[in-house]
Amino acid sequence: MTTQLKLLTGKREAGIVPTLEVTRLSKVFKTGEGPVTVLRDLDFTVGKGEFICVLGPSGCGKTTLLNLLAGFEKPSAGKALLNGRPIQGPGPDRCVVFQEDTLFPWLTVEENIAFGVNGVPKKEKQEKVLHFLDLVGLTPFQDYLPREISGGMKKRVSLARVLILQPQILLMDEPFGALDAQAREEMQDLLLSLWNQFHHTIVFITHDIDEAVALADRVLLMQKDPGAIAEETRVRLPRPRERTAASFQDYCKALYQSIKKPR
Amino acid sequence: MAFEKKNGWMGGFIPWVLPALFILGWFLASRFEIVPSYLMPSPKQVGEAGILYAFGAPGEGPFAGRFWLDAWVSCGRVFAGFALAALFGVPLGVLSGRAESMQRFLSASINALRAVPGICWLPLAMVWFGIGYRTTLFLVALAAFFPIYINTAAGARQVSPLLFQAGAMMGVRRLRAVFAILLPGAMPNILTGLRLGLGISWAYLVLGELTGVPNGLGAVIMDARMMGRIDIIIVGIVLIALLGRTSDLMLSGLLRICFKSARRLT
Ligand SMILES: Nc1ncnc2c1ncn2[C@@H]1O[C@H](COP(=O)(O)OP(=O)(O)O)[C@@H](O)[C@H]1O
Ligand SMILES: [Mg+2]
Repeated sequence: MTTQLKLLTGKREAGIVPTLEVTRLSKVFKTGEGPVTVLRDLDFTVGKGEFICVLGPSGCGKTTLLNLLAGFEKPSAGKALLNGRPIQGPGPDRCVVFQEDTLFPWLTVEENIAFGVNGVPKKEKQEKVLHFLDLVGLTPFQDYLPREISGGMKKRVSLARVLILQPQILLMDEPFGALDAQAREEMQDLLLSLWNQFHHTIVFITHDIDEAVALADRVLLMQKDPGAIAEETRVRLPRPRERTAASFQDYCKALYQSIKKPR
Repeated sequence: MAFEKKNGWMGGFIPWVLPALFILGWFLASRFEIVPSYLMPSPKQVGEAGILYAFGAPGEGPFAGRFWLDAWVSCGRVFAGFALAALFGVPLGVLSGRAESMQRFLSASINALRAVPGICWLPLAMVWFGIGYRTTLFLVALAAFFPIYINTAAGARQVSPLLFQAGAMMGVRRLRAVFAILLPGAMPNILTGLRLGLGISWAYLVLGELTGVPNGLGAVIMDARMMGRIDIIIVGIVLIALLGRTSDLMLSGLLRICFKSARRLT
């Protein structure tokens, strides 16, 4: 019922059920020098199984947006609905892959992946963990501690520990920003292949144009001061996408020009 | 560098150099009577006194065979006082490390109390608790509380808020987060606090026992002083050093066995 009603509102491709609906979402921080509007009147929807990239310069409020969607922060105005229900507080239906390294340093790779799995019989849990270890290609490293593995491997663990919880929506905050170019591309490919398998809804934050074009169904371009959605671009390229193809480069150019456009 | 390697034969050998030199110096000093033997008996004399103290049959001398009871009683006092300190120090430390209001409520008072040298409590404790077990317990618990509290609070404070966010988005919050994230994250500091606390427990044990209790390592040292038995005083000091070191190793080992975080982060 509710979903059908929702279908009648908002901007989206016909037939796609929105998972996430953001309406006039704003965030104002109170600081020593008075209130600062970091996000103003954000409006967008994300369809079920859609891969959205939020592209914007650093400091435009991307992390703040993600914190609102994750439930770490409360909006100052407007609302964010997940499957028609307002987001209230963090929970395993909206999993986050953070910008920073947030693995638990006292747990092994395997234990980190098992961390959020609860209420499952021990044997089943063990099998699940081994399965997801395998999915991200870390089986040989299951007993390593986070400090003993590389940055790229840590990101794989961060991904596996949330995928195992089967979230409705995956929130990723510049997850590969700190990796070298090769590791980043590897991770992008891994993420896409997992997405092909599971069809999660993904909101992926980045400041890297190439990354956005390589991954997204749709790119939401953010502007700064105050943070707002400036433009929306649908990337109509078949997957797997060839980064060197002229059509790929055209999208990058167009996005680049949109970013440079004075507003 | 080769000699920096921990496991080489040099590594095992180095910690013993200083004690060996010390004993050699001591031996020479007494051999050539640089220090009169009524002030500093020879190593041989002290060794014999120690063996008699530990393994002698009662009746062979005033201290013969007393060691086991003394050690047992002293360890019990240290353990009880230390446990009491940990029981209050860890939870209060965690609270004041994580809750701003708790920190404001506690820290000024605790820091003021901490500025008072422990020995100042002795007269008061003797009036309140009399001579013996309860005074010793009070002194040990009080002295051990501060390092445990302070280090636990520092450890709890520095656990990254991002780890709590990560836990929360995976559905681990509140009390479960305390046990799954806060305590493991603070474990290195908690371990440091407990070790410092245990170390200071031995110091205050001796202070408590010096007031005149029938048994205990501190009591033996005091008795020996009154009887002019320097050799037994030295035996007592050496035994307290050994017991202190052993209990420290046991504490670290126990925490490492019980907690992954203690094993893997320290
Ligand atoms: N808790 C806060 N209090 C005040 N200002 C904040 C807070 N969090 C973020 N900001 C400000 O909001 C702006 C956007 O921050 P952020 O969302 O981290 O940007 P991005 O992730 O796009 O780099 C920055 O100018 C930052 O200083
Ligand atoms: Mg950010």
